[in-house]
Amino acid sequence: MKSLLACYRAVIKTKLAERMAYRTDFAISVLLMLLGDFMIPLVTLLVYRSGASFPGWTLQEALLIQAVFTLAKGVAFPFFFGIVSTTLYHVREGSFDVFLLKPRPILFLTMMNAFDLDDFGRLISGGVLFGLALSGVPAPSALHWIQFAVLFLCSLLVLFAFSLFLSGLLFKWVGSSRVYDMFDSMSMFGMYPGTIFSKVFQQLFTYVIPIAMIGFLPASALLGKGADGAWLSMGMSIVFCGAGLMFWHGMLRNYTSAGG
Amino acid sequence: MIEVHNLYKTYTTYTRGSSFKETLRSLFERETVLVPAVKGLTFKVEPGEIVGFLGPNGAGKSTTLKMLTGVLHPTSGDVRILGCTPWKQRKRYVRNIGAVFGQKSQLLWDIPPLDAFYMNKAIYAIEDAEFEETLHRLSRLLEVEEIMRKPTRQLSLGERMKCEFIMAMLHRPSVVFLDEPTIGLDVIAKEKIRSFIQEMNEQGVTFILTTHDLEDIEQLARRVIVINDGEIVFDDSIMALRNFLGAKKKVRIVTEQPADWYGIEGVTVLKLHSAKDAELELDTDCLPLKRFIQLMNERCTLQDMTIDALPIEQVIKELYGHKERIEKVSVLTE
Repeated sequence: MKSLLACYRAVIKTKLAERMAYRTDFAISVLLMLLGDFMIPLVTLLVYRSGASFPGWTLQEALLIQAVFTLAKGVAFPFFFGIVSTTLYHVREGSFDVFLLKPRPILFLTMMNAFDLDDFGRLISGGVLFGLALSGVPAPSALHWIQFAVLFLCSLLVLFAFSLFLSGLLFKWVGSSRVYDMFDSMSMFGMYPGTIFSKVFQQLFTYVIPIAMIGFLPASALLGKGADGAWLSMGMSIVFCGAGLMFWHGMLRNYTSAGG
Repeated sequence: MIEVHNLYKTYTTYTRGSSFKETLRSLFERETVLVPAVKGLTFKVEPGEIVGFLGPNGAGKSTTLKMLTGVLHPTSGDVRILGCTPWKQRKRYVRNIGAVFGQKSQLLWDIPPLDAFYMNKAIYAIEDAEFEETLHRLSRLLEVEEIMRKPTRQLSLGERMKCEFIMAMLHRPSVVFLDEPTIGLDVIAKEKIRSFIQEMNEQGVTFILTTHDLEDIEQLARRVIVINDGEIVFDDSIMALRNFLGAKKKVRIVTEQPADWYGIEGVTVLKLHSAKDAELELDTDCLPLKRFIQLMNERCTLQDMTIDALPIEQVIKELYGHKERIEKVSVLTE
């Protein structure tokens, strides 16, 4: 474990040095990411300003769901979601060979190399949105905070599972950059209160593909509105993540490198 | 140390025609093609050997090397190296091997190689003292003490390749796989890399190298495996290959007067560019180089001349010609 941490620290340090070679590009990337993420709640704000609403949810509550969603992505993207783009690039180029030549778990190496400093912009915007949304709702109790923490961890598990499925697909569907669109279209369901969807969709996104866990369920816990099936969905998140791990390692066998 | 038995690798690819109709059709239906890249290789390598894999492009050299390094799973066959099956005990195995792929860099483009070396130190969990000692020794040997502090993108190809070697050898591997390590390098850089390989080999490191540069093999390997179309067509010492091929050279010659090349023993015309400019194959066993130059000067006055080793395609042709002759003789004796 100590060796893994030392390895992680060394690679992150190297990635940092690598990114600092182009500081202006880095600053622009972070700024654009911040601006892009601040646009997310704008639609909700417009919906509520026009007199419409998500039934059963105040503006502040809806904003909190979206803030939790952005925060979860803000943690996922810099630390592990980059495995999708890393796989996309290295499998297409055949340079994934280099990871396979190192005496560490391949997924761990891929994750380390996927560490993306630019995506810290998402973490900052997620944190700011979360703070702003939280200031508009009654202060949660300690119990709600604990429930939130557990469910937020599960939301990270779900995002990790998504990254594994998408990255795994890229060993077979070499160069398919559209996997990001697939993720965006699916994950957006977690950004809105689950109760606005039909019963079938609610159950699908809670118990089968636990997308509701990404934003809706942890935010509900924080608001003291514990949604039905949150604990079962938690179990599903763990299963989903396990399935993602198995899928990724299975798909790795499809790696064929590139001509030498 | 290395035992390879009946190794096969078949890739699945897809083909389509180039017309608009065929391109459109390929959206819905593609023809699957099985490409046998490696067809039943069997060989052994002893500790401390330098074995050269020689073969033209697409012969299966790199695929074989990728299977030996554990990067690719074979379709079938067994490989035992250092007591491991590379693709099954990958982590334990790669800790003891090194690899330099001439066309795939382990360095990081925007930062100095030294930073990448420190990253490898952490990945391989190398002790501080051991790392410093190895780095100092290798960087001095390859004369990169200064340049390894510059960003990789500012280095020449030769300098980068030297740093790739350090990257691959910091953890003191006992077997090193080199895939075309001198590709694109100038003569001086090639010489430096070759002498480094020789020095490491003297210290007990086993090298397997693929190349289509016959000079790499001649200067480094004591044993050569010629591979073509996924099969071994020659596996013997470099001396045996030399004896077989004879001392043949490829000569490009430009003369002042028109020359007649035919009828000179030891000279075969490969290509006639003009009456004064030709590409020849010279067998120096039949006609020593000194005598050949003298003869040319007497007959038609030399203006320019370049001498190269035989291209690998020519070597393969010779090997196949030899194989066919042997087969004909055995059919006749039967």
